Amino acid sequence: MPVRDFLSTSSKLSPFQPRYEHLLLLVCVLGTVLPLGVDCNPSAENHQINGTQKKSFPVLSFDYLHVRLPFEIALWILLASLMKLGFHLIPRLSNIVPESCLLIVVGLLVGGLIKVVGEAPPVLDSKVFFLCLLPPIILDAGYFLPIRAFSENTGTILMFAVIGTLWNSFFMGGMLYAVCQIPGTGLENVGLLPSLLFGSIISAVDPVAVLAVFEEIHINELLHILVFGESLLNDAVTVVLYHLFEEYAGVGSVTFMDVLLGVICFLVVSLGGVFMGILYGLIAAFTSRFTSHTRVIEPLFVFLYSYMAYLSAEVFHLSGIMALIACGVVMRPYVEANISQKSHTTIKYFLKMWSSVSETLIFIFLGVSTVAGPHQWNWIFVGCTLLFCLVSRVLGVIGLTSIINKFRIVKLTTKDQFIIAYGGLRGAIAFSLGFLLDKHHFPMRDMFLTAIITVIFFTVFVQGMTIRPLVELLAVKKKQETKRSINEEIHTQFLDHLLTGIEDVCGHYGHHHWKDKLSRFNKKYIKKCLIAGERSKEPQLIAFYHKMEMKQAIELVESGGIPKIPSAVSTVSMQNIKPKRALPQLSKGKEEEIRNILRSNLQRTRQRLRSYNRHTLMADPYEDAWNQMLIRRQKARQLEKRMTNYLTVPANHPDSPTMMRSRLSSDPQGYSLKLNSGNVPAIVVDPATPQSPESMKLLDESSKPGEEDQGIVMRAKLPESSRTDDNVFTPGEDSPKEQRLIRCLSDPGPPPEEEKDDEYQAFLN
Amino acid sequence: MFTGVYNFIYFLISLTVSHSQITRLYSRFTSLDKGENGTLCREDFQRIPELAINPLGDRIINTFFPEGEDQVNFRGFMRTLAHFRPIDDHEKNKDPNVSEPLNSRNNKLLFAFRLYDLDKDDKISRDELLQVLRMMVGVNISDDQLGSIADRTIQEADQDGDSCISFTEFIKVNFYTSP
Repeated sequence: MPVRDFLSTSSKLSPFQPRYEHLLLLVCVLGTVLPLGVDCNPSAENHQINGTQKKSFPVLSFDYLHVRLPFEIALWILLASLMKLGFHLIPRLSNIVPESCLLIVVGLLVGGLIKVVGEAPPVLDSKVFFLCLLPPIILDAGYFLPIRAFSENTGTILMFAVIGTLWNSFFMGGMLYAVCQIPGTGLENVGLLPSLLFGSIISAVDPVAVLAVFEEIHINELLHILVFGESLLNDAVTVVLYHLFEEYAGVGSVTFMDVLLGVICFLVVSLGGVFMGILYGLIAAFTSRFTSHTRVIEPLFVFLYSYMAYLSAEVFHLSGIMALIACGVVMRPYVEANISQKSHTTIKYFLKMWSSVSETLIFIFLGVSTVAGPHQWNWIFVGCTLLFCLVSRVLGVIGLTSIINKFRIVKLTTKDQFIIAYGGLRGAIAFSLGFLLDKHHFPMRDMFLTAIITVIFFTVFVQGMTIRPLVELLAVKKKQETKRSINEEIHTQFLDHLLTGIEDVCGHYGHHHWKDKLSRFNKKYIKKCLIAGERSKEPQLIAFYHKMEMKQAIELVESGGIPKIPSAVSTVSMQNIKPKRALPQLSKGKEEEIRNILRSNLQRTRQRLRSYNRHTLMADPYEDAWNQMLIRRQKARQLEKRMTNYLTVPANHPDSPTMMRSRLSSDPQGYSLKLNSGNVPAIVVDPATPQSPESMKLLDESSKPGEEDQGIVMRAKLPESSRTDDNVFTPGEDSPKEQRLIRCLSDPGPPPEEEKDDEYQAFLN
Repeated sequence: MFTGVYNFIYFLISLTVSHSQITRLYSRFTSLDKGENGTLCREDFQRIPELAINPLGDRIINTFFPEGEDQVNFRGFMRTLAHFRPIDDHEKNKDPNVSEPLNSRNNKLLFAFRLYDLDKDDKISRDELLQVLRMMVGVNISDDQLGSIADRTIQEADQDGDSCISFTEFIKVNFYTSP
């Protein structure tokens, strides 16, 4: 029975427990999977016994078959999740080895165990892979695609994706065919078309593998988008070549007409996929316009419409990946404007969760399938495949960049070329395509699969593991974590307008000209149809500002910065408004005093290194901000005790409303003092305001820990900060603000950690 | 991250004011020159339809006209456009002692900065920022809202506490993404 098996497996290993607890965890999980294959027979017997004897009403019956399938699926997913958990408990390991490698190793072990037990390990089924495991990953990638970077490099990406893949396929196919013709290799039965087909399968860079490896090494955005974009867009080429060669492999001859049809087919597949995606994306956006009363199912629309786009594209053998990407990209700006903050969080978490589980499962199954699959090892074939893979990739990248660099303004350096070539990882898509081959038409399928698996293992293990040290060795520019600021937003727009203007002066219709045209069209027509209410008229900048504001409001509510009772807000902040812009400076003595108190109370934020992962939802800078906010909250509590005398506004207690109330009632000073200390700027020590002095102090301290007497920055700009915040968080002043506040309060949404900078940016672009 | 500035500096596709393109720009210049006197006036620029709807159109036009003049000849026209020439590879390796060319990174940013800075005091004040914002977001946004955006922007960028954005601060805000 499963439990006994499980116990025996783990108890055997229990001596290791004290020293290798992680290993134990690993083995335990293996144990849970192990019984899967074993216990189906005994359970069937049990079932029979239950059925025949029929002595009395069975108090406890056993019917494993009944739940077998979902049970096994759940176990696999559980295994995958636990594995992921386990790896992140061992930071040293996950620093050296990419997660994908570890997962494959786990898959190998699990597969081996299943085999030892005498059962046939499951194989990564192509149907499951293409219909269940792949879409979440692609949707995640598409929905959060950095559009600006992508659109600025579209030419290069397309070049690599289309021409590069074509070159790779034909080079690989041709060379392999040539090798197979050499007598004595035992490969004479491999014809030209099968070898071309094999070439087309093996030559495509795999998005799953690229994502898994590249996101761990924090490569700069240009390189990331080049390799990742290529891996996404080459899907159309692969699909067409695959179907073309598969079709003609049976027939045996290809005419010029077929080649022409192939080219047309490529256009249909890629553009059709994109069209399908755009169509569903627009429908999704349109649907989300009306969901304001049924917020709960909003996220579902996003998932369902994208999945439908994928499936619909697959129905016509169009490129499902491109459909998904197009769908995600198109729907996102509109959907985000329509749905609530909470739904947005849900979408994000769900996408991240699904894609992460899918990815884990894919790699584990790759490992398991390796053990399971029938292998036909041919040294010459496998060796040549590996060699040609590397050679064609390197040649392709060098050749293409030499052409592309003529048109690019930022030239790709040799280092960049190396990383692009080296980052051409192959993955599970190739395996699944190979698995789909018909054994009758392709008697050498097993050999193909073996070669594919070898190439995948080589790229994922050798290249995946060495790429990080190489990136460091070559000092390739890394990704800088930046916070999307309002400045950047404004200046970016400003510069875009400027460039469009200059292009117009020159009479040159370039990139910016068309972008401008598109955004005008979008503003004029599409937004009105797809975004509900007045938000459709919001200029981009205002929308961005709203988002920032909302985020801060959430932060404030979380931190207890503003009172949760609206009436209290109005009274408090109305009193705040008075010293709006012409805030009098504190007298020197008081300023010094406050500064001293603040300095003695504030501690530095500890800087610690975090490992980056795609599946961690918080971006590092944000995490910092979050930590700072927590500290600020703590400090606010201490502050309010000491500073009551200086405070005009009572600082609100962060956590318990009861305490706050009691404090307010027991400390009426907070209100009365304000009247007679008019020259003290209210906002200066108000822990509520996001830009309040102590937060600035914190920022100062954390950024330049050496400077002690920086003190609180409270100079002329403080008035603005007070002004801003009052304007923002004052209900009842005028209607738009009230609305906004209500929006913030009625939907306080998730903790703010879900907001990530790149999302704004992607959304806004 | 592809910030605007990055974009601004590098991605001016074939606007390059290189030798092969001077002819093309010259023909553009003459086609804009309705008075056929070898100079362009403001009206000539305003006749460009796309520029007329560009929110920054007027400011861009102004950059072509040196202080107090309302005519620009081809040389002046090219001098302004030269700011936008991409940085070539061989130019990067040039001797650093030679004075900075017009299209250097700093000069490009300075060009943009001067579009903001109307009163030429080398600072972007709140009002100047507000004007630009107003131009870019259209009319249906309240002053308060824009004001708070402007305040926030300045607050974010301001480092020396003068409630203005100086050129150094401007560079810093836009350049913490690049080396």
